[in-house]
Formats: sequence, C-alpha cells, structure tokens
Amino acid sequence: MLRGSGAAGSMIDNLSILLSHGLLAWALWVLANRSEVDEEAPPAPDAEPTGFAIKRPNRKDAPGA
Amino acid sequence: MRDLIFVGYLAAIMLLAFKRPFLFTLIYAYIDIVSPQRLSYFLLNSIPLSLVMFALAFLGFLVSDDKKDVRVAPRWVLLLVLLAYCGYTTTVAAEPLAALEKWNWVWKALVFAAFLPLTLHKKLRIEALVLTMVLCASALIVTGGIKTATGGGGYGALVILIDDNSGLFEGSIISCVAITIIPLILWLAKHGTIFRPSWMVRGYAAALIFACLLIPVGTQARTGIVCIAVLGILLLRHARYRMLYLGAVALVGLAAMPFLPSTFTQRADTIKDYKADESASTRIAVWAWTWEYVKEHPMGGGFDVYRQNRIRYDIAQKADSDEVISVDMPAVKEVVDEGRAFHSSYFEMLGEQGFPGLLIWLMIQLGGVWRMEVLQRLYRKRNREDEGWVAPLANALQNAQIIYLVGSLFVGIAFQAFFFMLTALQIGLDTYLARRRKEAAWRPVKSVREKPLESTT
Repeated sequence: MLRGSGAAGSMIDNLSILLSHGLLAWALWVLANRSEVDEEAPPAPDAEPTGFAIKRPNRKDAPGA
Repeated sequence: MRDLIFVGYLAAIMLLAFKRPFLFTLIYAYIDIVSPQRLSYFLLNSIPLSLVMFALAFLGFLVSDDKKDVRVAPRWVLLLVLLAYCGYTTTVAAEPLAALEKWNWVWKALVFAAFLPLTLHKKLRIEALVLTMVLCASALIVTGGIKTATGGGGYGALVILIDDNSGLFEGSIISCVAITIIPLILWLAKHGTIFRPSWMVRGYAAALIFACLLIPVGTQARTGIVCIAVLGILLLRHARYRMLYLGAVALVGLAAMPFLPSTFTQRADTIKDYKADESASTRIAVWAWTWEYVKEHPMGGGFDVYRQNRIRYDIAQKADSDEVISVDMPAVKEVVDEGRAFHSSYFEMLGEQGFPGLLIWLMIQLGGVWRMEVLQRLYRKRNREDEGWVAPLANALQNAQIIYLVGSLFVGIAFQAFFFMLTALQIGLDTYLARRRKEAAWRPVKSVREKPLESTT
C-alpha cells in the first residue's frame, strides 16, 4: 500500500511545498536586494606579505651571527 | 489550481532574477532538483522549462557577470573530459536507444556542473547555492519526514510528493541526499548570512535535520542507514567534547529504537544477513557480471549496458519463524534474473564508461575530498577573522562528499545532477579562495620598501 497518497498525504505535500518554496522565494528576495551578489570588496591584506613581497630576515642580522 | 500557483511562483521569482541575473542560475538549480513540471498537471509540462531557464542563466552570465573574476580548476577540465567521453561511449553504446535516453539528461547535468563554477566567484553566491540546494531538497524531505513521523513508511511505499520512482523521488536516492545535506544545514545555521543565525534559524535547521534522519526510516533504504553511520563518524572529527558526543549519539540511538517501525528494524537486519537477501545477492551477481564485461570491453558498453546482463545466483533459504521447516528443503535456492541495474555508482561507471570513465569520475570525486581537506587545513592555519566561514564550509562539503561516496557503493547515482552540483560548489569555492588569497597577499613592492622609512619619520 502506498503511504501518504491520500487526502492527509496531499495536505502534508502542500505544506512542504509551501514551506520550502516560501523560504526559497524569501532567500531570492534577500539576494535580489544585496549588492554583494555581484560586487565584493577586496580582502584585507595579509598581516604577513607572501610571495615576492616577503621581507626575509638578513642572515647577518640573525642572533649569534 | 496547483499549476496556476506554480506558474505564478515561477513568474515572480523570474522577475527578481531580472534584477540580479545570477538568480536565474539558482532557479535552474531549483527546477533541476524539485522538477516543478512533474508536480504540475498540464501548464508547466508543456514548456521546456529547464532549457529556457538554462538559456536565461547563461545569457545572464554572458551579459552581466564580471568575467575577470572567473577561474577554472583541473577538476573543471575533468568534468568536460567526462562529458566528451560519455558522448563518445553513447555513439558506440551496446544499447543505443537506452543509452541515448540516459545521455539526454546526463549531458545537461554535466554542462550545468561545468557552468556553475564560472558563476560562483563571490562568497554570497556560494552561500546562495548551498541554501538553494538545501531548501529545494527540503521540499521532498519535509513531506517525507512528516509522513514517516505520522504514519510510518515502508520499502517502496512512501510517496514523496509524486508516486514516481525516478530521480530524487526514488527512496534510496533521497535517503542519500537527505543525509548528505545535513553537514550543509549545520554550516548554514552557524555561518549563513542570507538567513542569519537566530533561534528561529537554528530551530528550523534542527527540525530539518530530524526530517532528514527520518527519511531512511520512512523509505527503509538501507543505504540511508549506512550514510547515517558515516555521518556520525565524520562529525566526531571536529566534535569539541568527543566523549559527550559519543554518549549523546548512543543515548539518542537507544531512545529512538522503540519508536522505529518493526519493518524498518527487520530490513536493517538484512544488512548483516546479506546471504539470504535477494537484493544483496543480485547486487553481488551484477557486480561480478560487470567485472567480466569490462574485461572484454575495457572502454565500457555505454549508458544502460546493464540491460544485457543475465545473471544466475544462489541465495540461502530462510524459513519464517512460524513456518515448518521441511527436511527436503534445499539449503540454497537458485535465482535467475536479467537486465538488473548496477546498484552501485562505481560499477555503473565501470560498466558504462569502462576504466577511463571510472578513472575520470574517481579523480573528480576523490579530488574533491582532497581539495576540501587542503582548504580546511590551510584556513584553520590562516585563522583570519573574516575567513572564519571557510574551513567549516570546506569541512561540510568534504563530509557531504564522503557520505555520497559511501552511499554510492550501493546505489547507482554516479550521474545525479544534485551531486554534480556539490562538485561544482567545491570547485567554485576552491577557485574563489585561490583568487582571494592572491589578492590578500598582493603588496606592491614599492609600498613594502617604503614602510621602514615611514616608521622612522
């Protein structure tokens, strides 16, 4: 026997559709009004630069040198 | 009436998307997961909804997206290689008509999965896709959960929205999806910015997780039970108080036992009694057939090649408790079957796409697990306040992927669009973070040289 296909099942289906679709519409509404969907501020620079910008300690200045 | 409501709903959310074209991508994901055209009776059935929405999403990307932020990853290339390879095997398929039918939806899933990472170049977009996937899956999970809680379920007997045994509406697949999204729900409840963490959000998340856990009970899909066990182990990794967590899991498990329907516990018991279970014996026989097949056809037989199998296997005879056991009853019963599906994503890939297809697919899947591990370790080490959401999301996506990979052992879901979206999310997150790391690390040499002078003045 199939469970949840009667009138009560149909009511539960409709509730589930309403809830999920309502929340999705709400989320899309929020997104439509948020500019960060299309634009994002650049990240704050790292405290320690990496790559070519790294300032490596001079060996002569190292303690015990 | 339901048709008119769906048409009105789609029209309303499409209007929103004209303001921000990225929303068309999310609406396509919604159509792909929920299939509103299958829930309606006539209006939406008559138009190629997916095609129209994908065209709008692609047009929106071409016209309004900033392409300088678009990046691709090696796994993105692998998705395209898999698409091309599947296209090739379809042309030489052993079952040409059936192969063409499957190809007609597989290529769409793969093209959308390849398209998604190109659009996921903002943090909010990544979060929006996670939320959309969870809410869309919840359309099926909430109804399944409530029906299970109120009236029990049954193997192949629980109707989730429509009486259809395909796509996410199939019991084993929705069980796997339901457990897969639990890590994502937990992340959204803690780090979401569209619905910010509050008692309401946490309450809904808890209720949804409960509904997710009920789906394997309602559908009595053993895959779901295995997935729950895997989730339990994975969540242990970052649990702050492990002993407390283990105790709570054991307590909840024991407390839930009396409320589980007897049909569920009986079916769960067949996991350990697989020799007497026809479903398990069929699987093993099909897998053996697949292995023999690819030894002769290492490039695979194309989609739905399983239709060619003819299998013969023995299962242990099991008498019911009230049945009088006859002395003449043989210990094993011979069963002959044909055209049985693979019942495993790994063997589905192996049989249909051969060793090259399986290898590409495994590289995509395991590459995801590995990259998410790399990301979460890196971002825990970076420990920047503005990046606090990254490691938990990478962890959630990794957990979701592992649950899928374990669930895939027993269900043929290698080409399910939902899981390819998960892969696309991982690629999108990976490329987005690589670009942001580069931007954060970039410092003009001039400004670095000038700094010591500035500090002395």
